[in-house]
Order: sequence, then structure tokens, then C-alpha cells
Amino acid sequence: MIAALMVLLPLAVALALPWAKRPAVHRPLAVLGVAVTLALGVLATGDAGSVEVAWVPALGTWFALDATGAGGILARIAAAVMLPTVLWAGARVDDRPQVFLAWLLATLAGLVGIFLARDLVLFYVFWELTLLPALAMLAGWGLTHRRAATVKYLLYAVAGSFAMLLSVLAIRPLSGAEGYRFDQLLAAAPLLDPLTQTWIFAGFAFAFAIKLPIFPLHVWLIDVHEQNHPSGAADVAGTLYKVGGFGLFAWSMPLLPEGATALAPLGLALGAFTAVYAAMIATRHAHLKRALAYASLSHMGIVAVGLFSLHLAGQSGSMALLAAQMVTTGGMFLISGMLHDRRGTFELEAFGGLARGAPALAAATLVVLFASVGVPGLANFPGEFLALLGTFQAAPAAAVVAVLASIALGAFAVGLYQRLFQGEARERAHEIKPLEVAVFAPIVALTLWLGVAPAANLAVFEREAAAAQVAATAVAPPADAPVLGGAR
Amino acid sequence: MSLPPDFGNLVVLLPVVTLIVFAALTLLFGVFTRERAALGGLALTGVIAALVFTVFLWLQAREGGLAVTALGGAFRGDALSYAFSFVILVGAGLALVLADGHRVRLELDQPEFHPLLLLAASGGLVLVSAGDLVVLLLGLEIMSLAVYVLAAWRERSRVSEEAGMKYFLLGAFASAVLVYGIALTFGATGRFDFAGIAVAALAPGFEAGGLLLLGALFVLIGLAFKVGFVPFHQWLPDVYTGAPTPVTAFMSVVVKTAAFGALLRTTGTLVEALGVGPIGEVLPAVLVVVIGSTMVVGNFGALLQSGVKRMLAYSAVAHAGYVGLAVLAGGEAGLQAASYYLLTYTFTTVAAFAVLLSLMDDDDRGDRIERLAGLGRRRPWLAASLAVVMLSLAGFPPFAGFIGKAVVFQAAIAAGHAALAVLGIATAVVAVVFYARVVMTMYMREPDAHTPVARPIPRRTAVVLSIGLVATVVFGLFPGLWLDWIARASWWSAGF
Repeated sequence: MIAALMVLLPLAVALALPWAKRPAVHRPLAVLGVAVTLALGVLATGDAGSVEVAWVPALGTWFALDATGAGGILARIAAAVMLPTVLWAGARVDDRPQVFLAWLLATLAGLVGIFLARDLVLFYVFWELTLLPALAMLAGWGLTHRRAATVKYLLYAVAGSFAMLLSVLAIRPLSGAEGYRFDQLLAAAPLLDPLTQTWIFAGFAFAFAIKLPIFPLHVWLIDVHEQNHPSGAADVAGTLYKVGGFGLFAWSMPLLPEGATALAPLGLALGAFTAVYAAMIATRHAHLKRALAYASLSHMGIVAVGLFSLHLAGQSGSMALLAAQMVTTGGMFLISGMLHDRRGTFELEAFGGLARGAPALAAATLVVLFASVGVPGLANFPGEFLALLGTFQAAPAAAVVAVLASIALGAFAVGLYQRLFQGEARERAHEIKPLEVAVFAPIVALTLWLGVAPAANLAVFEREAAAAQVAATAVAPPADAPVLGGAR
Repeated sequence: MSLPPDFGNLVVLLPVVTLIVFAALTLLFGVFTRERAALGGLALTGVIAALVFTVFLWLQAREGGLAVTALGGAFRGDALSYAFSFVILVGAGLALVLADGHRVRLELDQPEFHPLLLLAASGGLVLVSAGDLVVLLLGLEIMSLAVYVLAAWRERSRVSEEAGMKYFLLGAFASAVLVYGIALTFGATGRFDFAGIAVAALAPGFEAGGLLLLGALFVLIGLAFKVGFVPFHQWLPDVYTGAPTPVTAFMSVVVKTAAFGALLRTTGTLVEALGVGPIGEVLPAVLVVVIGSTMVVGNFGALLQSGVKRMLAYSAVAHAGYVGLAVLAGGEAGLQAASYYLLTYTFTTVAAFAVLLSLMDDDDRGDRIERLAGLGRRRPWLAASLAVVMLSLAGFPPFAGFIGKAVVFQAAIAAGHAALAVLGIATAVVAVVFYARVVMTMYMREPDAHTPVARPIPRRTAVVLSIGLVATVVFGLFPGLWLDWIARASWWSAGF
């Protein structure tokens, strides 16, 4: 039951926020909503962590949520990152802050739903639901060229989700599964013939590739980040919403193993290329938010490579990297908001020498920035390392290329730090403020925790990846079984 | 004189009779009273009474688990007729209240308006309950004749007159084609009733397959006209734009639902009757082409419009294509999907027209999308309502339009029409563009000096809008309310 509350509570707060008349209550209410959601996430273990109610028996769909697996981990981390985001946004967004906060909480509700859903239709519903706040924040609070960015985002997202919808609608009737619940689908979908699996997988993969995102479906991402509200809060929501990797891991790969095998070479190639290509651009870019967007795109390339390695270590590493980059990339976008406060622009040439006026800010940024490029001991390292390690065993060529990205990202981080904080200061920047300390605290804490103690999360990811592989082989009949109808 | 064996079942005619009685009463009172508001109330009472009777009969039929016929099988009470009657009456009631809220401004307060609306609805009920082709034609004509007049209602408005004339001429042509099709079908099988046609065509030694196919195609053309399938959709944008807006709302929900009910029954029967041979493959193939082009033309047509009312007209064509997928799928899944789609489309569309009515000029003109600029700040509630409507029509969860698309696409895939479902999804992406354009204009475009200010919503329109919105959300979150109810209903072909 707690799992259901994790979705309903932020949604209820989101619906209540625009009604709150007194400005003083907006931010506390939003922070409280996120904090309680996080607390519920921590409590959601064992039987309380899952819920299963028939939703539309005629369609075979269930209101099924489960917070005890890989999705639960991601949901908790998303809530934890949302906490400083709401705190920051409440102070930095001047125009109708209560509505902006409401959209942030709606994002959280949708994300938790995506991560916890154990029914494919429910997953799709949350997947789409989360798009609305992302679009609304961009359209309502973005910069001058937000209109074009919104249209681009909408078209990419909708093209992807409708392709996925088709796969969602096809997988049950074609496989003859009893319903849309994960276990019901798992009992039937892997038996589909390889060609059908490939087609259905392609529908999912198209949507997930757009949301990962990977080249060549990433174009929307950069513009969206550039045009979002300068506080960076909407960018954090966008970063948390990069759930394509999770979709591959939790849904399409376990359900359609043959389809995944068929399309793995393509996924590996595109993922590796994305990782290097985006990292190279990031090192050269003169606009802070665009550079961060490219750096995060590069991580997503590594996530894709690890997942399509179809190797246990690679897949669980990818999930760990996905979780870590929520914290580190999200953190970097919040920092970009703080930097914008000091210089009023995102153009990197306006920066430099911030470390003189704000050494503490520089130090804290250094931790998050270096964590984001995979420095050992910090958040991204375990995931990135494992993802590449797994890929080396399954597809060495892709891994070799992807490793180049991780080197380029290192150069990016050092270069960015220099351009922001070192050198001569044109004007003195003010030191970190109490609010900013409060924003940094959870981010840095999570960064350290994910870097130092990754084992517990990795065990869950690996357990789930392994369970899916076992299920797929257990369901599949022996190779010499007679061919019947559509089923292999 | 001997009575048919099902004479005692005349009770299934109760909703139709109720509407006709109230139409007569409203007409009669209209002669003696100047109190137009009371007439609206009387007409609404009639619709609600008919709705209550329909639900009552439906509940009874579910207990019995069998279809009931009356007048020697000419009139049926089964899952299809009750489900579609329900949707028709809901749509008629909402459109009626919508019209009443703008009665004076739109000059809808002549005493004939309400009786015609009730008669049109009664024709719709006959259409979806028809057990044979003659009654089907009868229902179609009762409905259409009333709607021709309603479309041309505004005597000083040329577009309204043009709309009525165009609708009448093309509609009469469609009816003629339908009659011809009925004659050919009768010539092939010697029967008018659906059950008899199927039995005769499937009997050994039946050799008039070609003739029956021709008849079937003609019958379908006649009905395709009313639902707005391409290439018989040409009248639709002009008539929708020209007719008084409440009448447009009525047409896009009631007329469409009724025609689809008839189409579902006729297609189901004729596809079955034509069998599985080479002749039997023609009809589904024609439908695939027609439905595919309906989705394409409707959505791309809507993309090109600059007026919201006209955009909704093309979008009505596109949605007809989606419901067509359910018709093509047929069977219980088809009935489930089509009735759900039309029910939710009724609520959403009526809400859309409710908003539109308060944005257009006093003379019911002016629907350019630029008028919506800045609505998000000027009238946040109105804008939010229209945004929900557009999102639902575009197929976004958690609104009902999403589940509607999901059920029709799933029915089509399950029936082996995956390619058509792919086309449907592709056109749905196009649809998102023009629905999103409305939303983005409201929220992202600043109004200029020429942007008119939306008038306050009359209370009755607000009620309609609220009902439409609440239903759009509730049926989106709990589609089982309708789908599970239909799934457990007795299947309509039980009488075949």
C-alpha cells in the first residue's frame, strides 16, 4: 500500500499547491511533499512495498506497483534529488512559483509511477503523464526561444511514445498473455517468434532511445536544456525523466530477449558513438547548460552500451550509472542555476575566477562535477566501471570506443572547472549562501554514498537482470520443439 | 389478425416512444407558451426519461442474458442497441443543455427547435436498434430530416443555410444509395432482416454472392456518409462550420454515434454473410482502404485549418477513422471499443464546443485560433478545460481519449490489422501537432489589441462543461466502468 502512496502523495500535493493562497506555505508544502514521499520510499519494503489491484479487467491491466526492486531504488533516488530541487526552485522561480512547484511534484509522481509500475499499460500511462509537466515547465517558464524547443520536444516524445503504445498494445494479443502484468507477460512474450519480437522490441527501443536519449534521437534534449528556466530546476526534472535506460532494463529486454539480441549490435554501435560524440562536443561547448546536456548525453551512451551488452555486469552497471547520474547531472544543473545567479548568463566566457570569491562553492562543485565524470570513490564510478567491464566481455569493440568517451569526459570536467572557477575574476562572486548549502548537502551526501557503498544497489540490479535471463531461458522451449502457429 | 410472437416485447420501444411523445408535447406547448426556457426543461425531461428507460431495459436484458426483439424482429434490444442508445441520449441531453445556454443569442428559441432535436435523437435510437434494413433506413431518415433543418437553422446566416442545403443534398444522395443497396441485398437474399440475410447467404446453394457484395457496398456507402468516412466526408467541414455551434455539437456526437451503431451491426452481419471465400475478402479490404484514408485525410486536413471549429470538424473525420478500426475488428471487442470511444468522445467533444461557444462572436462566427492567445492568463479555468479536452482528443493519458485509442488499436491488432494500427498511430502523431497548437496558443502567445475577450460562461454551459470534463477524467482513470460493464453484457449477435 505504501507503494501506491508514493505515487498518490506527490500527486495530491501537486494538485493542492496551486490552491494554496499564502505564498509562505508554497515551498514548505512542496518540500514536505517530497520529503514524505522519500520517507515512504524508505519504508516501502516487504509486503508494504507492493500493491496489486485489478484496474480494467476487460483490458487485462492492473494497478500493480512494486518498490522492492530496481525501480524502487531509482524512485528513492529520484525523490532524494527532487528534495533540493524543490527547495531551490521555490526560492528561484518568481513567476507563479506555486504552479512551478506543482509541476515538479507532478513530475515526481510520474517518475515514481514509471519506476514502480509492474503493469505495462500502467507504465505507459505514467511515462506519458510525466511528459506533461516537462512540457509545461518549458513552455511556461522557459527562455525566449522556448516555443521551438517545446514543439521539438513534443514531437520527439510523442513519436516515441506512440511507437511504444503500438508495441504495448501488440505484445499481449500476439503473445496470448493473460494480462499486462509483468509476470503475466513474462510467461508468454519471450515465446514469440524472433521476427515478431524484433518488431515489438523496435517499437519500445525507439521510444526508449528518444528518452535515453542516444544519437540520432537526442536533438531535442540540448535545446530543451538551453531554453529551460535558468534556475536549473526544470533541467533536474528532465534529467530524472531520462528513463529510457530503465525501460529497456525493466521491460523490453526481459520480455523480448530475442528482439534484444537481434537489435543489440545497433544499440551497441549507436550507444558507443553517442558516448564519444557527445563527450567531444561537451569539451568544446561555450554554453554551460548545453555543455552539461552533452556530457549527460555521453553518459547515456555508456548506459546504452552497458544495457545492449546483454551481460549481467554491463546491465547492472548501467542501472547504477543511471541512478548516479540522476544525482550528479541533476546536481550540476542546480549548480548551473547558482552560477547563473552570479553572472546572469550561461556563456562560459563570462565566467572564470569564481573560486576566489566563492571557494566553498568551488569545492562543492568540484565534488559533483568529478563524480559525474566517473572519478573513483564518487557516484558515477561503480556504474560506469561495471558497465564498461561487462561490455568488454560481451562486445569488446564497443567497449573500446566507449572508454574513449570516459577519457574525453575527464578532460571536459577539468576544462569546465578551470573555465568556471580558476583564472582571473572580472568581478567578485559572492560566497555560497545558506540556501545553496542546503541544496548541496543532499546532493554531495548522495554522491559520496553511491560512490562508497554501491554494493547494496548493485546486488538488487544484478539480481533482477539475472532473474530476467533465467525466466527467459526457463520459458523458452528446447530448440527442437515443434513450431506451432506464431509461437516458436 | 395474428400477432407476431414477440408482440409482448413492445416495451423495448419505450425509449423511442418517450422521445416522440415529448417531442409532440414540446411542440404543443410551444404553440401556447412564450416561456422558451420551460420548453428546454420539458425536452430535457424527455431525454432523461428515455435514458432511465434505456438503463432499466438494459439491466433487465443483462439479467436475462438474451437479446429481446419486438415487431417480428424488426426492432432489437441487445447490448449494441442499449449501449449506443445510452451514448446517443447522453449526447442529446448535453447538446440540448448547451443549446439552451445560448438560446437567445444564437436565435435558437423558435418553438420547433427542441422537438426537432428530440426527433433526431429518436431516429438515432431506431437506427441503432433496427433489426432489419428497412427499419434502419427509417431511423436514418427520421434522424437526418430533423438534422437537415437544424443545420440550416439560422435564417439570416448564409453559411448556415448553405450548410443545411449541402447536408440535405448530399444526405439525400447517400440515402438513395442506401436504398439501392438494400434493394440489391434483398434481391440477393430475399430478406430484409439481419438474421435472415446471414442465414440465407450462408445456406448451401447460395449463388448470388456477387449481388450481395454489391448491395453490401452500397449499404456501407450510405452509412459511411453519415459517419464521415473518406471519400464521403466532403460535406462535413462545411456543415460543421456553418451549422449553429450547439447543432454542430449535436451532430458530432449523436448523429455520429447512431450511424456507427448501425454500421457496426450492418458490417458485422454482411461480413459474416459474405463468408470466407474470395467474395468475402472484398468488403474487409474496402473497409481497410476507407478507414486508412479516413485517418490520413482527417488528421492532415485538421493540420491545415486555422479555425478551431473547422479543425474540430476534420478531427471528427479522423476520429471516425479510429472508431472505424473497431468496426473492422468487429465482434465483442469491436463493440466494446467502439462504444467506449464514442461515449468518451461525446463527453470530450461537447466540452470542447462548450468552451468554443464562449470564445466565438455573438453571431456564432469567428473561430480563428489566434483568438485563444493569452487565454491561459486571462481565463485560466477556461484555458485549462480546453487543454484537458485537447489532450484527451490527442490521446494523452490519463484522459479518456487515450484509453479509447488503446482499445481500438488493440482490437485492430488482435483482429489481424496491425498495419492499419501502425498507420493509425502514425496519424495520431500528426494529430498531436494540431491539438497542441491550440494549447500552446493559449499559454504561450500574448494577446494583442484585436484579441476579443471571452464572454462569461452561462451557468448551464458550465454544467455541461463540468460534466464533460469530469467524465473525460473519470472514464480515463476508470475505463472499467464502461468496458467491464459491456464485456459482461449479452452479446448482440445472440439472435442471429
